[in-house]
Amino acid sequence: MNNSKNKKGVTRRKFLIGSSIGVGVLLGAGYLSRNLIRRYIASMVNEADMPYNNNVGPSVWFEITADNKIILHSPKVEMGQGTFTGLAQIAAEELEVDLSNINVVHASTATSNIDPFATGGSTSISGLWQPLRELAATMREMLKIQAAQIWDTERSSISAADGQLSFGSKSMSYGELVAQVKEWEVPDTPPLKDVSSYKYVGKPIPRIDLMDKVIGAPIFGMDATMPDMLYGAVVRPDRIGATFGGADVSAARDMPGVVKIVEEEDFIGVVATSRMAAEEAKNAIKVDWKTDKNWTSAEIVEMLEVGQGNPIVIQKQGDPADHIEDSQQVITAEYRSPIGAHAQIEPNGSVSSVTDEGATIKMSTQVVKITRKEVAKRLGMDEEDVVIEPTYLGGGFGRRLHTPNAIQTAVMSKAVGKPVASFYTRKEEFQNDTFRPPTHHVLKAVMTEDGKIDTIEHNVSSGDVMFGSALVPGFVQPVVGADVGAWRGGMIQYEAIPNFHAISWRVKLPFATSWWRSLGLLANTFAIECFLDELAVQTKQDPVQFRLDHIQDDDRGYRLKEVIKAAAKRAGYRDEVVDGVAMGFAASTDANTPVAQVAAVAIVDDEIKVLKVTCVIDPGLAVNPDQVRAQCEGSIIMGMSAAMYEKMEVVDGQLYPVIYGPYRMALMKDAPKKIDVEILQNAETPGAVGEPPLGPIGAAIANAIFRLTGERRREMPLVK
Amino acid sequence: MNISFTINGQPAQVDVPEDTPMLWVIRDVLNLQGTKFGCGKAACGACTIHVDGDAVRSCAFSAKFADGKDITTIEGLSSDGKLHPVQQAWVDEVVPQCGYCQPGFIMATAAMLDKIPNPTDEDIDDNIVNVCRCATYYRMRKAIHKAAEISNENI
Amino acid sequence: MTKNKFPLLFALLIGIVLVASAYSLETATRDEAMSEEVSEAFDKMMLVIAHKRCVNCHPSGDRPRQGEDSHIHLFNVQRGKEGHGKFGLKCKTCHQQENNLKAGVPGAPHWHLAPRSMAWEGLSRVEIARSMINPENNGDRSLKEIEKHLTEDELVLWAFNPGVDQEGNPREKPPVSEEDFIAAVKTWMDAGAPIPEE
Repeated sequence: MNNSKNKKGVTRRKFLIGSSIGVGVLLGAGYLSRNLIRRYIASMVNEADMPYNNNVGPSVWFEITADNKIILHSPKVEMGQGTFTGLAQIAAEELEVDLSNINVVHASTATSNIDPFATGGSTSISGLWQPLRELAATMREMLKIQAAQIWDTERSSISAADGQLSFGSKSMSYGELVAQVKEWEVPDTPPLKDVSSYKYVGKPIPRIDLMDKVIGAPIFGMDATMPDMLYGAVVRPDRIGATFGGADVSAARDMPGVVKIVEEEDFIGVVATSRMAAEEAKNAIKVDWKTDKNWTSAEIVEMLEVGQGNPIVIQKQGDPADHIEDSQQVITAEYRSPIGAHAQIEPNGSVSSVTDEGATIKMSTQVVKITRKEVAKRLGMDEEDVVIEPTYLGGGFGRRLHTPNAIQTAVMSKAVGKPVASFYTRKEEFQNDTFRPPTHHVLKAVMTEDGKIDTIEHNVSSGDVMFGSALVPGFVQPVVGADVGAWRGGMIQYEAIPNFHAISWRVKLPFATSWWRSLGLLANTFAIECFLDELAVQTKQDPVQFRLDHIQDDDRGYRLKEVIKAAAKRAGYRDEVVDGVAMGFAASTDANTPVAQVAAVAIVDDEIKVLKVTCVIDPGLAVNPDQVRAQCEGSIIMGMSAAMYEKMEVVDGQLYPVIYGPYRMALMKDAPKKIDVEILQNAETPGAVGEPPLGPIGAAIANAIFRLTGERRREMPLVK
Repeated sequence: MNISFTINGQPAQVDVPEDTPMLWVIRDVLNLQGTKFGCGKAACGACTIHVDGDAVRSCAFSAKFADGKDITTIEGLSSDGKLHPVQQAWVDEVVPQCGYCQPGFIMATAAMLDKIPNPTDEDIDDNIVNVCRCATYYRMRKAIHKAAEISNENI
Repeated sequence: MTKNKFPLLFALLIGIVLVASAYSLETATRDEAMSEEVSEAFDKMMLVIAHKRCVNCHPSGDRPRQGEDSHIHLFNVQRGKEGHGKFGLKCKTCHQQENNLKAGVPGAPHWHLAPRSMAWEGLSRVEIARSMINPENNGDRSLKEIEKHLTEDELVLWAFNPGVDQEGNPREKPPVSEEDFIAAVKTWMDAGAPIPEE
């Protein structure tokens, strides 16, 4: 959607449909200041306010089978975050069916139930909470309308319970009724039940995809098969900035099993009768990769320097610049975070079948709609003729927010007239990732005489997260002029501080950087929360109380204070090292979900070990408290892994490492042996869960390490 | 090369290049997709199977070495419709998130419990070294202790 | 003047006698002669034996080393009771009877760690050689048996065919060929396995 040439007013209105930001306000702000627009949009992204709207009716969402089972065709994909289970719980309530009778599947685009945006950003449950309940309630009423017609009575006389419709002594299962329906009648959205009456929502229901996942059912993209399928391997660059300068395929052509070498302007692929044959032939292709230069890590780090490029103020209160300039005692500190790889265990790839009639693609993706569009465009087909059948993802984390590999398998399939399966190797995953961008932070503060923060400034220099992403409409970028994803978590959440601002310095790196679980949250919270700790220690104050003292008195402030107090209390937070164990504290708010954590750290066998993490999260209504807990546990360990061990380097123009092990990640032995999660529910609707718990963990560990060793570690990874 | 072996209790025979990783024989030739590809370099463990009762990473195990062996994959872990104690424990503790690495972990754990029926936390640290990106290790540890309990009860 | 020099000269003389007798004591206990040929053979042999391809699996601790930089083996791999790994993480989980060129995992028959008595990590060449021929360290083997071990054992000879790493890069071989190594071992053994000075 590159509408930058259209009239600005029109495109902004389209972008804002359904948003909580009033159009009038924004246009008014636009008239006044581009900066204000940026800040509104930034806060919109920070609060993950992406309301749901794909204009598909209930009978598409809910397929009712003859044996009275409900198949919920989900436009959101399941990548471990528990969305399918949550959706089933929500639907069961208003549909009046037993949860065990709902099966959730990935909606094929052929059903037309297609997500308008993507699965990600911790928006699946929060975004579908209202719409799905309404859809389920409407479906129930649609069934009653049909039953009323069959039994020649009023809809209000029909009752629906446990998958059965009844009227007096007559009853019929939903499945029996559906067989008789000629045409659905869709009523107005009925009123919803009271949340307090819910049977499933709010309960720790075991995930509904457990069995498949422990018996090894073939549910993932990489497990997909099609009859007569061949195997494809695509030549990919291993060097940053490499452009294709031609290839010699002669050696590959005659190798065993090779069916065809597909040479396109933008890629070369080998199609063969086995995976091994395709890989071996691919390796025999000599590509002339042209590179201007061989990048090094040092050069990348140099690019990330606060002060380079255009500063954009993303948040402001009071007069921070003046106060800093006028002060004789500005406290400053710098922090850094490295390039991070997604490293999800299932590589990217797809299985495509292209014929004259159309294309069918089975794949793991977080962006069904865009992928279909891109494939259709490349093949010169109508979008409706390209069918994407999404599969369970073996890890998403933002890696699959752009999946153009579908184009390659589709083109190869078209070239050979048979289905083709093609997947990345692990080395290709590491070298062609769209990484978590490295960052550089400079924080400044001016203190009052009685130890309060008078002014605070957070500067973050980062590679892009959203810029250049297929997900972000082109017109947004010139308007905003900076990368909103990198700001996530970068704003100051302590709004009782009289003067503050957050400033972004955007850096265009020579390799792809994009969305990594929680975007800028991990790095930004690391910098800000370590700095807060440094300020508290310097002014000899308790770090927990120090934070509480600077939180404003409003709804958001209340929720943040509650998680901070609860975490400190639950962990028994103390500043002193006791029996060789030190504690560190940190808190963040992401997409309106505040989280506070305490990390207990010790040195064991000459290594820093995280023994225990206490986590208090307020996600609003917890649809499934056990899954909220699971997301906290996973985020904490994944965040700890990134904060302590993970780092990509650039060596002689190539991204390294290219394998697990050398790319060090947390293993079983590194994971804390105790993770204690408490859930507060100080908001009425479900909010973000999948990413917010990643925020505090890096800073909590670093603050603990300081107390343990006296050393302030300001660079991640914390362990060298 | 013609290779004969037993897989999940059934005889099997395949004709593949002798250095084909057993992972692909299992997945592409025998159509058993439970054993997963994560790296192909024996680093992540997602491809773990049992060969004559020992845990083996099938991406680094050439087909020729499977000749005459007794192979078990995740599909063969449960018997008579009853889940293996490790699988049961995994369900009881609600371990999986994305689920992709879980068969590898379950196979590695089953092999460990066979030799170390009552593992300590240190035993678990020393023997379970697969990679889980969703980082479900916390619940896995609980499930491993639970699986040991279930196994001991069954005896 | 002569009076002052006398004690000094005397001390010098005593010193020379002491050193000379110490030297002759050393040579007397060893009772071997190292011809140039044997000395060269020893050097060649030790170039292989002290190479990282061998020392990586002759560690003094409970963890093997790996790689060209001999870092501690990743993924918490440990010796276990019998050098074959912990019971749930045996060497054979990943290492098979021959190198796997696709995965980049080295392999040879009975791949495992040398026992602690055969730890070579941190030892000098001479200390390694001494340890090798000492029945208390070498599994109670005679010189003949050690010669057979060094020249015929498939795991030992793996050093000359170490395969490729996970990126397909060949592992560095010892700077002596397999034939020259075997010949050097035989020459040295035939001479009675003499251990030279440091």
